[in-house]
Amino acid sequence: MFDIAILWEARELILQGLWNTVWICFLGCLLALSLGLLLAALRLANPQVFGYPVACYVELCRGIPLLILLFLLYYGGPSIGLTLSASVAGVVGIGLYGAGYFAEIYRGGFKSIPKGHVEAARMLGISPFHVLTRIQIPQMARLIVPPSTNQLIILVKESALISIISVNDLTKNATSIVNETFHVIEPYLAVALLYWLIIELIARGGYALEKRLANRQPRPIEPLGDTLHANG
Amino acid sequence: MPMVDTLATSSSTRQKAIVEAQGISKQFGDLEVLTDIDFSLSPSEVVCVIGPSGSGKSTLLRCLAFLEPYDHGSVYIDSQLLGYEDSGGKRVRTSEKRVDEVRAPVGMVFQHFHLWPHRTALENVTEALRLVNGLSRREATAEGMAMLEQVGLADRAGHFPESLSGGQKQRVAIARALAMKPRVMFFDEPTSALDPELIGEVLDVMNKLAADGMTMVVVTHEMGFAAKVADRVIFMDQGRVVESGAPDTLFRQPKSERLQQFLNTWRERHID
Repeated sequence: MFDIAILWEARELILQGLWNTVWICFLGCLLALSLGLLLAALRLANPQVFGYPVACYVELCRGIPLLILLFLLYYGGPSIGLTLSASVAGVVGIGLYGAGYFAEIYRGGFKSIPKGHVEAARMLGISPFHVLTRIQIPQMARLIVPPSTNQLIILVKESALISIISVNDLTKNATSIVNETFHVIEPYLAVALLYWLIIELIARGGYALEKRLANRQPRPIEPLGDTLHANG
Repeated sequence: MPMVDTLATSSSTRQKAIVEAQGISKQFGDLEVLTDIDFSLSPSEVVCVIGPSGSGKSTLLRCLAFLEPYDHGSVYIDSQLLGYEDSGGKRVRTSEKRVDEVRAPVGMVFQHFHLWPHRTALENVTEALRLVNGLSRREATAEGMAMLEQVGLADRAGHFPESLSGGQKQRVAIARALAMKPRVMFFDEPTSALDPELIGEVLDVMNKLAADGMTMVVVTHEMGFAAKVADRVIFMDQGRVVESGAPDTLFRQPKSERLQQFLNTWRERHID
């Protein structure tokens, strides 16, 4: 029988788990997004110098499971003088792991901007810096939103692995409730629903951003006031 | 700077060249795409470059604009060497900034328009006015609208490129280049990506520009345009200039076998 009362009694554990999953994922994803940007920028800025190391990093991220990375950070860290709390190891693990994927997403976005857009700008005398900030990055932003949203969702789901290095996240606390009450279905269904909610929020956010960046409806000609409108 | 003038057919009283190339060549890997090209362009002159695909005509234009760095020879714009400078007897690449300075008199229009899709038609035109010329938003908008007016697209100013036809896109691209007040316009196959019924509107704009005295180099497959508008036509094949001269002479009495073949093929395709 489905016993909803169990969830009500364990509400504090569930909320604690939710909070931990949310902040660890938030910081981990933030780290992944920014480190990924740095890696992509290094690689694009000087492919001769940074290309190979960055490519190695990306291959490493893709080649090893997140769980192994978390084990190395949390259990292996102290042996090289790096003692992290479980939560911090979770943030760093998700960050390092995701960065490799984001670096590739950014690089792909950047590469898919036609060379001609840059040439047209350079022929008008627009400096390489402005070409980057005004022509390339705004176009890239639109291209990378869908794959980035996807990657964020994957990271949040994979964050369940931090429960194995003893972080009291949604997954670990659900397991605790199962162990105490011997009810399996209710706690796991409840946290599944919560994961789904977080992911739905990210998906909606990504979709809204995508729509906003893709909005190419005709616009009025601003500084000339109402006399000229663009709907001709 | 020596004035080599192998291709000029106009009178000896012509003015100093705006664009001049001496013995330029270019290789892509093992493939020599340009071999020892001399070229010179006088103010108000319209030169059309024709030739089969892969003849190097687009590469020539791109080298004249330094979008492709040429390997040997020299390109001068207003007597200033483009892209290279002398450094202790060795030729080295100049800074991008210097390239911009020397290239400032040149405007360029591309086969595939290359409008920026995240900017409206007007913003495509005003971007460089604001970033390079430092105009205020209001000034740039007024100037941009005037340019769009000139190509007949003021009513499309607020539209993004994706909602414009190919012909309209190319006219916006022309307006964008003209906004920087170039003294020379390079056209790289400006109508080759257009549906046949849209070619006319772009050629009309180019006709008008030529009539107003704009100096132009046009790489094109539009023989009609070349015959009507060009002061001089250059026929290229396999990276070399095979023949050049006034359009009447060139089209009616082609000297080289290659050009005869090329014109015959063209006529066969355009007779029906």
